[in-house]
Amino acid sequence: MLIFARLIIFAAMSLAIATSAQDEPVDERILLTFIPNVQFAPFYLGIEDGHFADAGFKVTLEHLQEPEVLDLVAVGQANFGIVSGEQVILARSRGRDVVYAFEWFQHFPVGLVYSSEVDLSDLTNLRRMTIGIPGRFGASYSGLTTLLGSAGLSEADIDLREIGFNAPEVFCLGAVDAAIVYVNNEPLQIGSLASTGDCGDVRAVDVITVASQVDLVSNGLIVSRARLQEDPDAVERMVSGFAAALQSAINNPAQAYLASLRHVASLPAEESLVSALEMAAERQREFLVSNPERDAIAQSRRELAADLAERFDRETLTQLQVLLNTIELWDADELGYSELASWQAMRDTLESMGFLDKGGGKLQDAFTNQFVAGRDE
Amino acid sequence: MMRKSLRDIPGKRKKGDGIDSGSTLRRISPLLTVACLLLLWQWISARELISPILVPPPSAVFQAFIDALADGTLLKHAAVTLEEMFYGLLLGVGIGLVIGYAIAKAPLLENILSPIIVAFQSTPIVAYAPLLVIWFGSGIASKIVTTAVIVFFPTLVNTIVGIRGVSPNLRDMMRSLKAGRWQTFRHLEAPSALPVILAGLKTSTTLAVIGAVVGEFVSQGSGLGYLVTLARNLYDTPLVVVAVLTMTAISLTLYGLVAYVEWRFLAWQRRPRP
Repeated sequence: MLIFARLIIFAAMSLAIATSAQDEPVDERILLTFIPNVQFAPFYLGIEDGHFADAGFKVTLEHLQEPEVLDLVAVGQANFGIVSGEQVILARSRGRDVVYAFEWFQHFPVGLVYSSEVDLSDLTNLRRMTIGIPGRFGASYSGLTTLLGSAGLSEADIDLREIGFNAPEVFCLGAVDAAIVYVNNEPLQIGSLASTGDCGDVRAVDVITVASQVDLVSNGLIVSRARLQEDPDAVERMVSGFAAALQSAINNPAQAYLASLRHVASLPAEESLVSALEMAAERQREFLVSNPERDAIAQSRRELAADLAERFDRETLTQLQVLLNTIELWDADELGYSELASWQAMRDTLESMGFLDKGGGKLQDAFTNQFVAGRDE
Repeated sequence: MMRKSLRDIPGKRKKGDGIDSGSTLRRISPLLTVACLLLLWQWISARELISPILVPPPSAVFQAFIDALADGTLLKHAAVTLEEMFYGLLLGVGIGLVIGYAIAKAPLLENILSPIIVAFQSTPIVAYAPLLVIWFGSGIASKIVTTAVIVFFPTLVNTIVGIRGVSPNLRDMMRSLKAGRWQTFRHLEAPSALPVILAGLKTSTTLAVIGAVVGEFVSQGSGLGYLVTLARNLYDTPLVVVAVLTMTAISLTLYGLVAYVEWRFLAWQRRPRP
């Protein structure tokens, strides 16, 4: 009888251990680009609010240069990474078999910032202007090439200066007439400098987005094909975890900002601001219970910005505004979905830049929508 | 007292004594090391112990080298880096010599300048290179300044050490001969300090490549640093290796040139002394 009881206890314990092991989140590293920044808020929210844990992952984040992210994913040293679509096309043409599994940015984030006093209603006015760019590569260069192409211009029509990632300083020193920037970030910094008279003669700036001219594929989640074939379930869970975190950030930016505070040391975190955001986040959670439409949620974000602008100065709110601007680039009816046309447009741009031979591999192999919610390919 | 040379030490072979296998081995040993490394690299690549995405095979690197040479890419970018290094060395070494000499002669100046110099030197150049681009523009000027800043310190320190190391007895002798400042500099200080200054110059020339390339990484446009960035962004790893090896070759060549200058100018040091 005693032996029987012991056996039952042993079996129960084994079952408990096995169940607990099954539920234990798996350590997973996601490779990001740039540096810790509020623009990565969905990842911070995914970690802090348990979206990744719900999907079975204990996620850590690491920031590297884009080519390094792609190569490490391609060779299997990391399972997931975030890179731009053009990097996927270029890398695949050089033997890196990676697959873009979720389109994070639905709108290409690059644009041209210039003084409001310059008339660029007709893009051919760009002719003979001095334009700054981080370098002749990457999303900035693809964006500029597309922008010029849409006006029937080429690089030979402008004076292109490579200025590194120093657009606010170089533009405000007057060394360039306009600069290629990430539209969610640098125009805010430059606009802020201009409004306080710290940007030379410039008092206000305008932005032309590349997305307003052509739909180019942008940043998204990548995985190696080997990993995709080996464990599609893990990829599906990661995509669903990230999609939930992204939707949550779009729906409740105050909550996303608060989650970012634990990951981005440089974010303004005054007690009064944190307290205001906590209240805003709580209000938004109550608002979301009623399942509002996408437009109503967008309106609530504008109201949040207006409400906080009355209580805090511009500098304190700059990073929150960066987040709100970035959310506009993520928001879509169908998060994660990738259009073949945007990949085609990007490949055409890369070919016109001479970075890609014509007729490279099949674009359909570069991405998949099979993990996007509601899609079954 | 007659100084003994290595040739006079018993047991050491003299030149012409026959085949000096030890000496020959010493001479070819650097080449053997390179050959062994190449063989190891080829062996690793052939067995795909490391993905060719991360470490391309030597054959792919050689092909990339031929292609970059044929289409002029390599020479174009190497020429830009060399130009930046040349002017950077001229500026940095020039200022280092002048300030080093002044500090060696006036210890008060050392007290005044050393906090600034040490602070600049102890800060990694990559940290303030972006500032140099903002201050001096995105053109060649910022790269020259970056190079000058990095080569300045070794020249400065070696100049100070060299000038201060001049024998006090010889200084007394120059004074007793009523030699003027210029004569003392020309006939005593410069020749005495030259070995140490040239040793500093050897360090400076190797650092010059780093200075130029750091500048090119921060503000892109052209040069070998830019070629690395461009090739990385095009996922052309063999071309990255070609650019890096070209930097190494430039560095070694310049080091060799200074070593040759040292050998020529300091021939008097090798002569047996009475």
